[in-house]
Amino acid sequence: MSADMTRRGLLGNAARGAVLLTLGGGTGFLVRKAHGQVVWQVDVTRCLNSRLGEVTGDGCRLCTSECVVGLSAVRAVNEYSKCGRCSICPAYFDITSAVDEHGLPSEKLCPRDAVTRTPIGKVDPEDPANNYYEYAIDEEKCDGCGRCAMRCKEPLGLGAITLRVRYDRCLNCNKCAISRACPQNAFIQLPIEQALQAQEVKRSGS
Amino acid sequence: MQYRKVQVIGGRGEGPDRFRAELQSVAVDSRGRIYAAGDSEIKVFDAAGAIARRWSTAKPPLAVAPAADGSVYVGEAGQIEIFSNGRLIDTWRNAQLLGRVTAIRFTEESVLAGDASDRAIRRLDRHGKLLNTIGKDNPVNGLLIPNGVVDLGVDGRGVIHAANPGKHRVEQYAADGRLLGHIGRFNGTDPAGFTGCCNPTNVAVGECLYTAEKAGPRVKAYDFSGRLLAVIAGDAFDANCKNMSIAVDARRRLYVADTVKLAILVFEEVAG
Repeated sequence: MSADMTRRGLLGNAARGAVLLTLGGGTGFLVRKAHGQVVWQVDVTRCLNSRLGEVTGDGCRLCTSECVVGLSAVRAVNEYSKCGRCSICPAYFDITSAVDEHGLPSEKLCPRDAVTRTPIGKVDPEDPANNYYEYAIDEEKCDGCGRCAMRCKEPLGLGAITLRVRYDRCLNCNKCAISRACPQNAFIQLPIEQALQAQEVKRSGS
Repeated sequence: MQYRKVQVIGGRGEGPDRFRAELQSVAVDSRGRIYAAGDSEIKVFDAAGAIARRWSTAKPPLAVAPAADGSVYVGEAGQIEIFSNGRLIDTWRNAQLLGRVTAIRFTEESVLAGDASDRAIRRLDRHGKLLNTIGKDNPVNGLLIPNGVVDLGVDGRGVIHAANPGKHRVEQYAADGRLLGHIGRFNGTDPAGFTGCCNPTNVAVGECLYTAEKAGPRVKAYDFSGRLLAVIAGDAFDANCKNMSIAVDARRRLYVADTVKLAILVFEEVAG
């Protein structure tokens, strides 16, 4: 097996595993719910933190401040099939911070340190810029503030990180506080079948 | 060095000199004619910016490059098409080696094709036969290309200058694939550095090295040792532009593709 195939294999396995891990809890929760019910979800094409065209600012934090669930039912999710595995990820680093002795930004972006990174594939210990990295969201720390999503979206990033409602955390309130507060009408209700279908599409695309 | 915008060619629209949805690549030949790839066709503009010719391509074009003999090479997914006077004269097909050809350049003996699928540069002979691959292992992970575009230029000595946006560098290679060095570094605030996740996305080589960046989109000039000479344009482009193809002509005029406005912006040095 070639070195390149090894790297590709590692990336592919990591991506598949991570997507399944990410979606697994939520999917299992969904299939236990009654047929015909609806669930809340973020429409990423409307969400200020992920929709294209908004290239400035720190983003909207209403998913954090309005949700009745402690720490919010909304989390950042990294869709690995889109992630560039960049050495300098604008969702991980504060790319405007001073450069350190390794040539990397000296500060992280997430105020809760919820984004982690791990070098993958062939690792060059001498030069951090020469490596690929896997970025993961620590769901116990993430409060859905959306700063990482704002920095990940195109054109600065690749739009891999978006905010998503975690079905196993959401109380599915009839009058969701976030949906009432969201000025972009980005908090929408989906039939469970549609939510499941979206997750199956993600699985098959991973 | 200072530059000013002197011309805008094309733009979004339906007319023959306009682009409906895409402007992927721009190039200029020794006579100052401007070539643009997008919307499944090649458009040729005269030096004044008037449309002179257009023809369709088999697949959506990703790169265009006029050769010294007057033929025009077009990079596409899985192939390179070669045209003469707008007529197809040859097609080099190879799904593995030419997965997604986003740049084409020439040396005296060879054709260089940037393959964004495999994140590598193919050096081909004049019949399309592979001579060697460049940038796959330099020394660890090769070209780190998150943006889907491999771009390169060739200087007068035959040295290949390849954008390596994942490393925030422009790398120099010999034709045999040896990594000779690099310029550039990450810096989010110093204009001499490259910012964001992955810049520069595109390069052009003339008497100096030109780079294009995304988020925020800007074009800069460096000498070959990496010293910043000028920020040519920092506010001329739509803020959502990315992968802006650039070309330079013999008069050092710079042609930059605004990928949102679908226009070619032309810049020239201000005397003095």
